[in-house]
Amino acid sequence: MTEENALKLFKCLSDASRLRIVQSLMQGEMYTELLAERLELTPSTVSFHMKKLEEAGLVSSRKEQYYTVYSLNRAMLEKPLSEFAVPVPKQMDEQEKREEEYRQKVIKTFFEYGRLRSLPVQHKKRRICYEEIAKHFEPGRVYDEKELNEIIIPIHEDYCTVRRDMIGEGILRREGSQYIRVK
Amino acid sequence: MQEFMNYLAGQIEACRAKIERLEADGRKDDANFARVRTNIYDVCRTVTNTLANRPGAGEAAVKAQFARFETTWGAALEKAKAHGDAGAIAVEETKLAALADVAAHFPEEQA
Repeated sequence: MTEENALKLFKCLSDASRLRIVQSLMQGEMYTELLAERLELTPSTVSFHMKKLEEAGLVSSRKEQYYTVYSLNRAMLEKPLSEFAVPVPKQMDEQEKREEEYRQKVIKTFFEYGRLRSLPVQHKKRRICYEEIAKHFEPGRVYDEKELNEIIIPIHEDYCTVRRDMIGEGILRREGSQYIRVK
Repeated sequence: MQEFMNYLAGQIEACRAKIERLEADGRKDDANFARVRTNIYDVCRTVTNTLANRPGAGEAAVKAQFARFETTWGAALEKAKAHGDAGAIAVEETKLAALADVAAHFPEEQA
């Protein structure tokens, strides 16, 4: 387990409500409404906590008719604490980590549910947004203009500017009326 | 109207006490949801204070503003549900629950 994942796990558990959810799930699988009743929380609040527990790898869920049933990932809970004391090589150095955090902050600010709210004025931020849009294109695959526009339009209405800028940034390459993602 | 304002002040006070209790209990995220609820009571108090006594506005204007909040937050909730955003769903449901509570206590118009 990386240091980042370990921190995520401990942060997740450092909340009394989530700890109580884990305690309840020790007794067996449960669904949202039952947990909400037991812990005197609203179902949406329980779902919020469950999402965090799932992200930390502590809980898994499955759909059963109208309900979402949650169960504990016991393998994760049974890990000895000493395992976290063993240093694991960091995946990123500090500079890379800061850049990634900045990148995520820009994406969070400018995108809402995958749609670009507005084009950033600052070049560095705009570049990050274009790189995020580029994830919708397979590297090396050839797209015609119509296909390309159909992918961009749901993300941002000014698809001409986006397309032109992405070529200018070297993210897309144009060959006649065809487009290829460079990287 | 004074009774309604007292009710809002009481709810804000109760929410603040709850936030303290939740934080002391190590339930930071639940405390944040309680903070969202407090903000809604506070916003409704400001809206009522501003509109209720304004010439040409009055109680009907307050109710209309509450209805606009409901529409906006309801749309935000639907959007969050469509994207499976558990955090936003919990926030919007908290806001709507507080608003429903406020609306239920708003004085009925005098005939």
